[in-house]
Amino acid sequence: MSNVLLDVRNLRTEFVTQDGVVHAVNGVTFQVDEGETLGLVGESGSGKSVSMLTVMRLIPMPPGRIPSGEVVFQGQDLLKLSNEEMRQVRGNKVAMVFQDPMTSLNPVLTIGTQITEALELHMGMNKDQARKRAVELLKMVNIPEAERRLDDYPHQFSGGMRQRVMIAMGLSCSPQLLIADEPTTALDVTIQAQITDIVKRLKHELGMAIIWITHDLGVIAGLADRINVMYSGYIVETAHTKELFANPLHPYTVGLLGSIPRLDQGKKEKLTPIEGLPPDLVNLPTGCPFYDRCTFRTQKCLEENPPLMSVGVKHWSACWNYEAVREKRDEILRRTVAQPVAA
Amino acid sequence: MLAYIVRRLLWLPVLLILISLITFALGIYGPGDPVQVMMGLHARPDIIAQVRKEYGLDQPFPVQYWNYMTNALRGNFGYSLVKYQGQRVSDLIAKRLPVTLQLNLVSVCWSLPLAIALGIFAALKRKSWLDVFLRGMVILAVSIPVIGLQPVLTFLFSRKHEIGPMTLGPFLPVGGWGGIFSPQVILPAFILGLGVLAVFTRQTRAAMIDVLNADYVRTARAKGLKEWMVLVRHALRNALIPLVTLIGFVLAGMFAGSFIIESFYGIPGVGQLAYDALISKEYYIIMAFTLMIAVVYVLMNLLIDILYVFVDPRIRYK
Repeated sequence: MSNVLLDVRNLRTEFVTQDGVVHAVNGVTFQVDEGETLGLVGESGSGKSVSMLTVMRLIPMPPGRIPSGEVVFQGQDLLKLSNEEMRQVRGNKVAMVFQDPMTSLNPVLTIGTQITEALELHMGMNKDQARKRAVELLKMVNIPEAERRLDDYPHQFSGGMRQRVMIAMGLSCSPQLLIADEPTTALDVTIQAQITDIVKRLKHELGMAIIWITHDLGVIAGLADRINVMYSGYIVETAHTKELFANPLHPYTVGLLGSIPRLDQGKKEKLTPIEGLPPDLVNLPTGCPFYDRCTFRTQKCLEENPPLMSVGVKHWSACWNYEAVREKRDEILRRTVAQPVAA
Repeated sequence: MLAYIVRRLLWLPVLLILISLITFALGIYGPGDPVQVMMGLHARPDIIAQVRKEYGLDQPFPVQYWNYMTNALRGNFGYSLVKYQGQRVSDLIAKRLPVTLQLNLVSVCWSLPLAIALGIFAALKRKSWLDVFLRGMVILAVSIPVIGLQPVLTFLFSRKHEIGPMTLGPFLPVGGWGGIFSPQVILPAFILGLGVLAVFTRQTRAAMIDVLNADYVRTARAKGLKEWMVLVRHALRNALIPLVTLIGFVLAGMFAGSFIIESFYGIPGVGQLAYDALISKEYYIIMAFTLMIAVVYVLMNLLIDILYVFVDPRIRYK
């Protein structure tokens, strides 16, 4: 399983606004292998959703524009396809599931219509075949009485069920790549677990690759093979999941791990936030974008933005001082999770 | 659903009593006197008093109101006192309503579909010069008063113009009523439709922009649907929901006619009738006209609420 399915090279996405050009994605390069699950982690505005919407070519243009980059999917640059060719890729070979199941389904169309329309279009099925397949899909995501529920409208489903319907829709044409944009963020924790379980099972059964966007490291830990950490439109660290959690080598990743609440934490201990705010995407600094919030910063960080550097086995970090991070992070992580407030 | 409709209809008489009370009171206590208008300024007071007695106008308000309402329930809405002396009000309205309805039908038929098309177009080409141009035209169309537009258009299209050695026109005949396929209908229907055109272009544009930014439209695109499917099946269906309310009001307005257009162009519709009635204080006609409009609006509102069920599956009545 090492055939490259998706190869994104130096992808940039910008939005022209009244306040200036917003640099949302700033030269992102990564690959996804067939059948692999890639986690895309970062805070709001870090460019994780925008980069994936760019891959799907769902960025409204204008105001959006893609000044550079290649999105090679199965040997084809998606950015060079005509609108019609891209339309045939979307929902067919690459599918996307969105964040908010409450607003992502059309309120005036039945679930059946919304699932079958893609089947009829991409798979050339007739109405009966598409309906049959839709029932199968709903059963696959554990919707009870699938046959009957096909004629129901989205408002007749709960949030968790709607997200399962969204996933069924995404999987309908058996895509090679499923992009899931924070599919569990709008749901409560038990439903989150249900959804991730379903996706894990289906990934196993169907063998597709998944890009899972999230800001929740807890969700991604049990799901992803590899993780890209994004910050202000850059990938700042990438490694296999276990390696990233055990051996984070970018100060931002260390900060993220330090801010996860833990069950074994004492009652009086506060969560440790990363102080400060991400930089203004209109006026990006020439140096490292994390400089203002970083405890490891040096003069070099202010002058030059670090590229991704190989720091281990299949492990890259965009930090000039990753050696210092390696030495000191254990102390920081220990301190951040074991610091009594009253002390 | 049926129970809901019945319950709504039960409110109709209550509303009508309130509306008729107010209109009747305004007619009686308001300025002007139909008998005075009918008899002329120099009529002898004792004759005026006698006529008033004949028509029952000397009775106290509750008695007059009671008499009027009991007659109205039997289908007798009184008689015209001045301009159409002796004719039954119900006949007058029945004869004129079809003319008004036909005229308005023509104006809605050209303006409403065009407005929805322009609105969708403006929403899709948002912020382009075409959108800006359309927006300007819309503001222009609602801002120009009919009373100013009417003479200008009439002058331009229905007169003979001499430009140097050339003689142009007249292009369009005006005045009177010749049915919905006659050329006379073009100018009044055009002017009447402008308001609808402006309002609906604006509203359709706003509704479409709203819907095009919705998450479910993005979902539809992510499915790889063809663009027309995204627009028609996913976007327009949702944009229609707010438009249904407005369409109801336009349809109700069709019954009211237009005072100005019908009077200026000599079209024998209810608008002209109401205008004449107002000038000569004929409150039997005004009463009947007001009650008719009230009933139409109440029924239209009900119709809209019923239509919602078909447009928006989230709405169900118990």
